[in-house]
Amino acid sequence: MKVVGGRRVFSVEEVSARLASMFEGLRSFWVEAEVQDLRPSRSQVRFTLRGGDAIDASMNGIVYERLAHKPADGTLVQAYGRMEFWRARGQVSMRVERLELVGEGLLRAQVDELRGRLAAEGLLDPARKRRPPLLPRRIGLVTSAEGAARQDVLTNVWARLPEADVVVVAVPVQGDEAPRLIARALRHLDAVPEVDVIVVARGGGSLEDLMAFNGEPVCRAVAAASTPVVSAVGHERDVTLCDLVADVRVSSPTAAAAAVAPSREAVETHLADAAHAVARGLLRARAGAEEALRGRSGALARALRGRGELARDRAERLAARLAPALRRSGAAAAGRAERAEALLGALSPRRTLARGYAIVRDGGDGRVLADAAAVAPGRELEIELRDGRVTATAGRRPQ
Amino acid sequence: MSAGEGPAEAPLTFEEALRRLDEVVVRLEGGDVGLEEAVALFEQGQAYLAACRERLAAAQRRIEELTAEDLPAAPGEPPPGEPEPPF
Repeated sequence: MKVVGGRRVFSVEEVSARLASMFEGLRSFWVEAEVQDLRPSRSQVRFTLRGGDAIDASMNGIVYERLAHKPADGTLVQAYGRMEFWRARGQVSMRVERLELVGEGLLRAQVDELRGRLAAEGLLDPARKRRPPLLPRRIGLVTSAEGAARQDVLTNVWARLPEADVVVVAVPVQGDEAPRLIARALRHLDAVPEVDVIVVARGGGSLEDLMAFNGEPVCRAVAAASTPVVSAVGHERDVTLCDLVADVRVSSPTAAAAAVAPSREAVETHLADAAHAVARGLLRARAGAEEALRGRSGALARALRGRGELARDRAERLAARLAPALRRSGAAAAGRAERAEALLGALSPRRTLARGYAIVRDGGDGRVLADAAAVAPGRELEIELRDGRVTATAGRRPQ
Repeated sequence: MSAGEGPAEAPLTFEEALRRLDEVVVRLEGGDVGLEEAVALFEQGQAYLAACRERLAAAQRRIEELTAEDLPAAPGEPPPGEPEPPF
């Protein structure tokens, strides 16, 4: 300092030293703010902490690199540190020692971190995913006692399969107890021998609401289950880690029901169709065998005749022995086919008839008519409908 | 052949019976099947159909309601009152 004409004049160094000393006594503190204008560098990471106003801030590059969850521009954080005066620049800046994400940013970072670990263990691998059985003996359902999800899933399951047998375990789906109890419910259902598939259901919600399904206890319990797990958590846009670990991910109670229960109607129709296909196959094979038998006895007779007059007596004796044998073996197979045909009659195709189809039989011998070519005009027909039979006469085939 | 002594040794699941039934149908519909084989396939088909129907008939609408709180805790599970953080 110098005194010039009664005026005290300081050097810049003296001013900045004075300012620096004023900042020296300040304590460290926590501040909550949004990170902006993040400029990472190896030695010193600089950024702005913005609320209504803004504070310039910096952090040691090595400390920053070791952060569990790094912020991005716009992330809400809590920063711990103290204010400093940078003499070289004449700037006030916060020297940040600890930096933690808060709010949704923290949740997202935690989800990302766990997703990375689960993926590294192969728990998100599509090859791990198992298909639920077509007809589970019992269906496990883990859901809130009060939520709409519970009733929606039950209603839809029973609409498809009225006989469905469901074990429901009520759990809290959010809050501190949720992860532990959902995991416990999963383990319980996994241990029930008849439970062949487990549905975890919850309606949509905020990231915070869905956090139980993004947490390690639930993800681990889903991954450890030997029973296939269907995750029906949240809406289409809310993908949780539980969805990723589960064998099947659906985004509505209707889809959950379709994933765990077959439609009774569709199964019945399929079985009726299969029964008819099996019987048709047998009848076709019988017709083919009869054709072949006729052809072969004719060929045998011709061959024996070809041996000439000398062999004639022997051939006739042989033919006389062979023909009944051939007839017997053919008759045995044909007899089994007859029994099969009788069984076909017993296989009630009522389901098919109820859907508006009809069975047309020959009015004379009662054979089921499947081919238009086999029906001559004027042939008496018997038509079986859902509730009885009517007779009819065949007209000409339309050209 | 009755449904009880089906072509398979162990009791089939509905799904397995249905899959085998569908295989029988495919083979029979393939055409090129002799009568003996067709009869055998038919009988297998009958047994699988019976198995499917039996499983369907065994299903009974039922609901059992439990509360997770009342279920026994797993060995490694922290005691209640100590909220487990999600991470």
